[in-house]
Amino acid sequence: MSFTQGSFAWLVAHDLRLGWRRFRGMFGSLRPRTIAIIIGLCLATFHVIAWPVAGWFASLGNSPDSARLYYPALASACLFIMPWLISQALTSSTRALYSRGDLDLLFASPMPSRTILAAHAVAIAIESLGSVAIFLVPIVNMNAIFDGPHWLAVFPALVASALFATALGLCLTLALFMLAGPRMTRVISQIAATAIGAGFVLALQIVHVLPEHMRDSIVSSIDAPEPGSLFDRHGLLWLPVRAAAGEISDLLLWCAVSVGFFLITAVLLGNNFAASAIRSANLAPKRVRERRGRVGKKFRASLGACLRMKEWRLLARDPWLVSQILLQIVYTLPVAIVIWRSQGDQGSIGLSVAPAIVVISSQIAASLAWLAISSEDASDFLNTAPVTKAQIERRKLEAIALPLVVFLAIPIAGLAYVSASTALVTAIFCAAAAASTALLNLWNPKPGSRAQVMRRHSQSKLVGIMEHSLSLCWAVAMVLAALGSMLALIPIALAFGLLWFNRPKTASAKFSLTATAA
Amino acid sequence: MQDQSVDAGSQPAALRLSDLRKAFTKTAVDGLDLTVRAGEFYALLGPNGAGKTTTLRMVAGLLPPDDGGIEIFGVDARRDPVAAKRITAWLPDEPMLYDKLDPLEYLEFVAGLWGVEPKRAQQSAVELLEVLELWPHRHELCEGFSRGMKQKVALAGALVHEPKLLMLDEPLTGLDAAIARQVKDLLVARCRAGASIILTTHILEVAERLADRIGIIHHGKLIAEGTLAELRDVAGQKNSSLEDVFLELTRPMERAA
Repeated sequence: MSFTQGSFAWLVAHDLRLGWRRFRGMFGSLRPRTIAIIIGLCLATFHVIAWPVAGWFASLGNSPDSARLYYPALASACLFIMPWLISQALTSSTRALYSRGDLDLLFASPMPSRTILAAHAVAIAIESLGSVAIFLVPIVNMNAIFDGPHWLAVFPALVASALFATALGLCLTLALFMLAGPRMTRVISQIAATAIGAGFVLALQIVHVLPEHMRDSIVSSIDAPEPGSLFDRHGLLWLPVRAAAGEISDLLLWCAVSVGFFLITAVLLGNNFAASAIRSANLAPKRVRERRGRVGKKFRASLGACLRMKEWRLLARDPWLVSQILLQIVYTLPVAIVIWRSQGDQGSIGLSVAPAIVVISSQIAASLAWLAISSEDASDFLNTAPVTKAQIERRKLEAIALPLVVFLAIPIAGLAYVSASTALVTAIFCAAAAASTALLNLWNPKPGSRAQVMRRHSQSKLVGIMEHSLSLCWAVAMVLAALGSMLALIPIALAFGLLWFNRPKTASAKFSLTATAA
Repeated sequence: MQDQSVDAGSQPAALRLSDLRKAFTKTAVDGLDLTVRAGEFYALLGPNGAGKTTTLRMVAGLLPPDDGGIEIFGVDARRDPVAAKRITAWLPDEPMLYDKLDPLEYLEFVAGLWGVEPKRAQQSAVELLEVLELWPHRHELCEGFSRGMKQKVALAGALVHEPKLLMLDEPLTGLDAAIARQVKDLLVARCRAGASIILTTHILEVAERLADRIGIIHHGKLIAEGTLAELRDVAGQKNSSLEDVFLELTRPMERAA
């Protein structure tokens, strides 16, 4: 491969450079050297963390426990990594299909579409590989030092897995494109990517909540699998696991399968990809549901009604955004389930799930407040309107109350079914927690586009830390209050203290800050 | 557009800027004095970076001036920005829209912000969408619109609250001839109906044909102002086009700079 202009390697380098810029964007305005130091420190820290685990694993030596754990450990890692890689590929290939500027230019050039897709695919594979490697490399390195060099087989197996997952992700995206059409593909694949990524976390929890005898039977099938069953490690599904375990023929086979699949995808789907990208650019405008009458509903009169309706419409018409917000609930649930199970038979579901609902409430309120205040599409336009900033902000905060209530209604109703009093206390603490994180976002606006809602803290880590601290304070206060303890006042005081610390500074200070930033 | 026989002193100026100043790293607006009469179509010309957009953004309340006065129909915009904004509309070259709203919803939102009586707003929204040929697209989300259509939706938004002073920054950039004609006709009609219009443009032919008076700013200062005939006199170029006059007036400054 040469790096001459217009070559395949040159195109891969171009894609990787764009990927690196996106990655850098997540660190705000930090310099590349600082970012490199941070990554280096992370790698070093992960090595230190992996040390005792690797030491313990090596200490098992050739005992039956070691053999018993080796394959299931690798299989769990595969179960965790493969969905992640596939979801990364889905996200990246969808982005490639819909990011117009880049592809328009590429397809207008005399470069063959196969080369363009193949270069994109290689870049996607390398990027997703990087996101896994930072966690996996330290674990494998430490195990290779303590337990033996056979662990190094994980690396080629991982590269093959990245190629396989990327090819699969591309196929899935293009299949979706054909089945669901260009408009829906974007949303479906974004939601699917997040769901696949979260799938493993949820799957683990499902195992946790299964009845005891079912879990026992799963464990025994792993220990002594029936030949040909899902848990038989000689089966086809276990090929990547055996490859990672260093079984040389399987490693070669897995590499061949992955590289083959990758090449076939790039070669066969190149034209299809180009056609899909062109179709995605020529979408007919989307129509809103026709309303009755010539104009439809009468215009609203009040400023509040107009601002509320605008916020609700923007939210309701962006299913991806809603899915991202709802995912916060999904990610919080496992914690609640763990707490619930840790309390054994005496555990109260109310007391374990309720604090999770308080946390969810504060997080959703923060997201919604950020969406309404910081990611305003037309902030200049609003500033030219004959209303004060304070009026607009107040109306926007009012506007986020309804979606928040909609999101929380089912969990709180479920709680009320178990215990009405806990539900009432929870609702009160939810309201307080939501108000606090919404105010935090109002007082510390960090402008960004709506799509960045889940990455909004990359601009200001401090606001992120404050947001999570407030959630924690209210959740702890909720538990203590439900137990009737006066100690609840301590976290409540702490929450107010945090808010006081983040109160808006004087207008002149704010202005000078903005000027400095500009 | 305005009837020149009307005594300009009988009503307050649509816009009066006095000694307006703004500096970023460099001075953008440098003691600008400018008056636009009520009912006048005023074209503000200047080379790139002359301070046109900065000036209009200060008038629209989007940028605090370092010094100087802004008066819109007698209202001190720095002291009472809300009252000034109530009678003003600002249309930048990049349309300020919401991708996920349709044109009708957008106009409803704008009318709500400016507190227009709903029945009147609705009627005016329908008329604007029809005049601008956006009616068939009233239920389509703005995200799928071409630049020209987006610009027309934004223009409808600027007009739906019937501003007395309308400021447009490069309103014709990127529009095809047919859409540009629609926009020009609508602006002329608004001016005839009594609105005052300030427009910046690089298309000098537009200024030549539409404007009652033309102001040329350079390095943040007003260097010439008047009707086309008056500007020709200043430049000493009888029977020449506005382009010749503009180039002649801005050239000495370029050399001095």
